[in-house]
Amino acid sequence: MAREDAIREEAIAWAARTGDPGFEEWDAFTTWLEEDAAHAPAYDRVMATADDAAEALATVPQPGNDNAPAEDSADQSHPRRRFLGGAMAAALIGVAAVSVWQLRDPAYVVETAPGETQLVELEGGVQIALAGNTRLVLQRDDPRSASLERGQALFTVDHDPSAPYRLTVGEDTLVDVGTVFEVRRDAGAMSVAVSEGEVLFNAERQRVRVRPGQRLTSAAGSDHYVVAAIPLAEVGEWQEGRLTFRDATLEQVAGNLSAATGTSFTASPRAAARVVSGSLMLDSVEADPRTVGPLLGVSVRYQAGAWELGAL
Amino acid sequence: MAANDSSTGLEAVFLENRERLRRFLVARGAGEAAEDLLHEVWLKIAARDLGRSSGPVASPLSYLFRTADLLMIDRYRSARQAVRRERDWGVAQDGTLPGASDAPSAERHLIGREQTRLVAEALAALGPRVEAIFRRHRVDGVPQRQLAQEFGVSLSTLESDLRRAYAALAQLKEQWDEV
Repeated sequence: MAREDAIREEAIAWAARTGDPGFEEWDAFTTWLEEDAAHAPAYDRVMATADDAAEALATVPQPGNDNAPAEDSADQSHPRRRFLGGAMAAALIGVAAVSVWQLRDPAYVVETAPGETQLVELEGGVQIALAGNTRLVLQRDDPRSASLERGQALFTVDHDPSAPYRLTVGEDTLVDVGTVFEVRRDAGAMSVAVSEGEVLFNAERQRVRVRPGQRLTSAAGSDHYVVAAIPLAEVGEWQEGRLTFRDATLEQVAGNLSAATGTSFTASPRAAARVVSGSLMLDSVEADPRTVGPLLGVSVRYQAGAWELGAL
Repeated sequence: MAANDSSTGLEAVFLENRERLRRFLVARGAGEAAEDLLHEVWLKIAARDLGRSSGPVASPLSYLFRTADLLMIDRYRSARQAVRRERDWGVAQDGTLPGASDAPSAERHLIGREQTRLVAEALAALGPRVEAIFRRHRVDGVPQRQLAQEFGVSLSTLESDLRRAYAALAQLKEQWDEV
């Protein structure tokens, strides 16, 4: 084993030099290769792995690279800009990288665990950021349609009037022609919040236009809906590690916190319908779940493997 | 024929050093294919001659060795690709990955995506300079001398950064292959 490691180390040292057009010592390199038949395969592995990595990276934008299209720079909290830098960029995914595999079933699933986030970039100018505990079904042959089965996601869709973006959320349908919007679905309800452009809610039924700074909420199995004003900065704020609740039930709060942090929260059965408002930084909640208490005005206690939120 | 100096030079250097190149290809693991590969190198420099788009080669002999080396890497990668495709089919049919849908294509999709994420993470863990140097060198193809100036480091520091990146990627690859 030690010998293999030593060979690999030597192969790496050569690879770091031969990869450069200025490298001249080919005879010395040849001599090294001739010393041991294991040298050439080790070198091949290192070079091929570096090439694989470079190709994978070439399909995704560089973190911190500021070649983003210039746009309303006055708005610092612009959600679209968040796609281009910061921690999320490391998770940015190039779907083009797996084109060899796109021959079969057109539907595929992208899923995150609680506490995990993921950014998916599709052809046709669609970027989707998935919050924790989210399941999204995408179509290989149609990047402009998707179905949110569970959880929460922020959509950034390039404007193309000839190809509206369609998102199915349970029994509801959202149609959009170039916007940034966030959709959340849990057991009881769905909501859509728009930070840019416009989203059409159930074109065949209620036909509601949701505009920037608005959030539409609709309970599952109901045609009833509510539209409320929200600050633009709240759309997709979870990408920056923040969660804001406005008149949310403790049950919803517990569900959202569990999805965002990966720590289990529950609502006490007696207080599940109690409504609270407040804004939380996920870092501090992860560090100490009890900080939720004073911020939302609720009690927090550890019980049966989860943090239970209840009335004070 | 003065205008054609550089390419004529390349071909002349090839003919002069044919045996050295062959020996290199054999050492590189080409075996009996060494002659064929030598011919491929010749075709590549001939095509370069026809294209005339590229400038003169600063160091013709290095250029030839490099061309031969890249041919070998391509060969290794395409051979491995064929093996891997079969293996991935196996993985997909076992359905062993969590979080994927029932469709085999979805699982293989997740594998590719996961790999890209792991690569980015492995490089990020080495710090911003190592990560940036790897990207600039391997993705953007910037020569080391220029990179050393760009990052304000010595050539040996630059090489050491690249070694760290390659080592991290090789380790990642091993873990991945063990799965």
